[in-house]
Amino acid sequence: MNREHLRSLFTTKSARVETNRGEAYYARLYEQCKARLEELKKIEPLRKISIKEILEDEGVSRRDFLKWASATTAMLMLPSSFTPLVAEAAELMTRVPVIWIELQDCAGNSEAFIRSDGPKVDDIILEIISLEFQETLMAAAGHQAEAQLEDAMEHFKGKYLLFVEGAIPVGPGREWCTIGASGETFEEHLKRVAKDAAAIVAVGTCATFGGVPAAAPNPTGAVGVMDIVNDKPIINIPACPANPANMVGVILHYVLTGQIPELDSLLRPKFAFGYRIHDNCERRAHFDAGEFVEEWGDEGAKNNFCLYKMGCKGPMTFNNCSIVRYNESVNWPIGSGHGCIGCSEPGFWDKYAYERPMADANIKMAPGGGVEKSVDEFGLGLLTAAGVGIAIHAAASAIAGKKSEGEE
Amino acid sequence: MRIELLEKIEGEAFLKFQKDKKIITDVKVIFPHYRGIEEILRGRNPWDALVINPRICGICGHAHLQATAMVLESIFQITITQKAQKIREITRFCEIIQNHIKWFYLVIFHELGILYDFTKVHHLIITINKLLALFSGQWPHSSYCVIGGVTCDPTSFEIYQAKTLIRQIKDQFIQLIGELHDPLNLTNDLQKLYHTLQEKELLLVGKSHDRFITFSQDSHVSNIKLLHGQKRKTKLTLIEENEQKRSYAKNVTYNGKYYETGPLARLMQQTDPFIRYFHRRFKDSITTRIIARIYEVSLLIEKIIDHLATIDLSQPSVVESKMQDGTAIISIEAARGSLIHQATIHQGKIETYNIITPTQWNLSNGTSQNPSVIQKAIIGTSDEKIANLIFRSFDICSVCTTH
Repeated sequence: MNREHLRSLFTTKSARVETNRGEAYYARLYEQCKARLEELKKIEPLRKISIKEILEDEGVSRRDFLKWASATTAMLMLPSSFTPLVAEAAELMTRVPVIWIELQDCAGNSEAFIRSDGPKVDDIILEIISLEFQETLMAAAGHQAEAQLEDAMEHFKGKYLLFVEGAIPVGPGREWCTIGASGETFEEHLKRVAKDAAAIVAVGTCATFGGVPAAAPNPTGAVGVMDIVNDKPIINIPACPANPANMVGVILHYVLTGQIPELDSLLRPKFAFGYRIHDNCERRAHFDAGEFVEEWGDEGAKNNFCLYKMGCKGPMTFNNCSIVRYNESVNWPIGSGHGCIGCSEPGFWDKYAYERPMADANIKMAPGGGVEKSVDEFGLGLLTAAGVGIAIHAAASAIAGKKSEGEE
Repeated sequence: MRIELLEKIEGEAFLKFQKDKKIITDVKVIFPHYRGIEEILRGRNPWDALVINPRICGICGHAHLQATAMVLESIFQITITQKAQKIREITRFCEIIQNHIKWFYLVIFHELGILYDFTKVHHLIITINKLLALFSGQWPHSSYCVIGGVTCDPTSFEIYQAKTLIRQIKDQFIQLIGELHDPLNLTNDLQKLYHTLQEKELLLVGKSHDRFITFSQDSHVSNIKLLHGQKRKTKLTLIEENEQKRSYAKNVTYNGKYYETGPLARLMQQTDPFIRYFHRRFKDSITTRIIARIYEVSLLIEKIIDHLATIDLSQPSVVESKMQDGTAIISIEAARGSLIHQATIHQGKIETYNIITPTQWNLSNGTSQNPSVIQKAIIGTSDEKIANLIFRSFDICSVCTTH
């Protein structure tokens, strides 16, 4: 396995998303979005808040807001001519109701959501989003909250976006996981609330693929939303936690087009999951140069070398962390010197989430497999080969490195 | 018998009340969730626990991550550098601070119907998370803390950034809560809280056993229990955990007694005049408990400032570790009190892993002869709304408890 081979392995066409759909397509989409926004303007806003006023109060200039809109347009993989429409969509976000329910979760996505990162404008947008029901954020609790959920479902029948956080246990012991005073199981609850949703957004790896509760031996038989609901459009935003920028992106896209964004085979929006961490990693140059961290805290670590040999799963993880980053873009896991753990991939607890390169993986399997075969086999096959290749690549580049030093 | 459902506590819980002529005579706490983290950990490589355990909780996952590293370091007999220790404390204190502020407003102010400036609170929380992420990569659920230390290697530039952020945090906090020097002269939102409790005649509700326990040792606390005003060192070996019927949360006692853990327990072991004043006047009522939690923020901000000033960047971030078999039990302070992790490694695999969360200490279900902390605090109340407020004064974490 020489360097050329390795390069081709990680830069194959299949790993890229062709984002340009051609002029005719965008012209049509533009008109469609405009019509959609006109329609929304006719609707009475759900909350009497205007983003313009909030922005003024917050000291965010119109120019900053448009900058944000243009960054978001790029994130959504739309041509820059859509920027004014995205700005307008943000102003109309109060007209799309969002209901958010929590199932078998740790509340990590709620926590991430209410600390939305990205530009400051995102935070403000979260304040004016029409969040009709969100346990952590709303004033009501207990029976009052249940009544509020009923009201929102009734009032916005067929119109609301349903955000689901947490997995759904369907195995033995599922009766341990109930919600509300009625003792409804998570599965019953999800089906009931999903029935009248316009679309469902599964946030976080638990709601998408079962996440940590589904890790072997999956004691509660946890599954994701798409394993339960099959008659609704579903958008998966995996990762642990999901990046709030992607949550806001999906809502905006929906406001803008009235449709869900383009998805991959795992129902993930391509604008966020269309490329790998590895493709846009700030340490990619070190990978190409064959410079790796070999031990925690070694010279390589001090010089921000590539973390692949320390078990980084960047090459087989699709997500936009390397571009969007976290917590107001201040940092991201690789920035703090730890490899990607692959938290947005299906079954990652059993396949990826450990501190060793794939080649040395000794994986605990759930009875009956428990992880998606295709992705799994592809990933493992690819990685074991790559693991071997990387070692050769690393050795070869070390020699090459010495040579060039000698020449100087 | 009435069942009251509670949310907004990072998950759900039920309170089952028994009443006699309007007065609550008994209460049971039920957590109707379960994920089975301890089962999932069995048979895995110890390093995997570093990735799985933070997911126990979305708001104190950082404490779980550090507890995991600590218990494994204890088994592998590793001592981390002072630099790694300080970085871990800075990030953990940040997590505690942002939890306290979020709880103070989103839970307590909501509950009491006090108005506040959401945008200001929101920005403060975001700034704290930013400081945290500067070292940890992201929040929630970071992976920068490994066996032997931390993976980040901050330069003086990051330390400078961190100092700027902590200054902003301190300013924003004072703007919201006020300066906390004189307990007789509360200002801003803390004054609002105090007046509201006074008006609603709630200053003295929610008294419990007045017994406090802390198991951890760091630059902020020591492992001390307080019983009848007597301080004693605590031993992790005297903890007993018992399963309960109809709930996945386990009961937990120390030497057969229920103790309160959390910010109030942490501050009561210090001779801080601010908290002592409230304790003298209101004992361990909700007033003292709520004020302790928000007052702790001001102390932790100072600790972070101090750590940033004294950190020695020339030390290694990580020391080498070698896996070995063994058993250990450790404690670390999380936002809601002492968090205990216990692990046995056999033939290089996790044989057993046991987690005791702070909420288990405060919310066990005792008997009428030996009521738990929450039961003692609620029994005798006549109003379920007040019982609900007392319950929330402990800052409950259901997802932790039902790991």
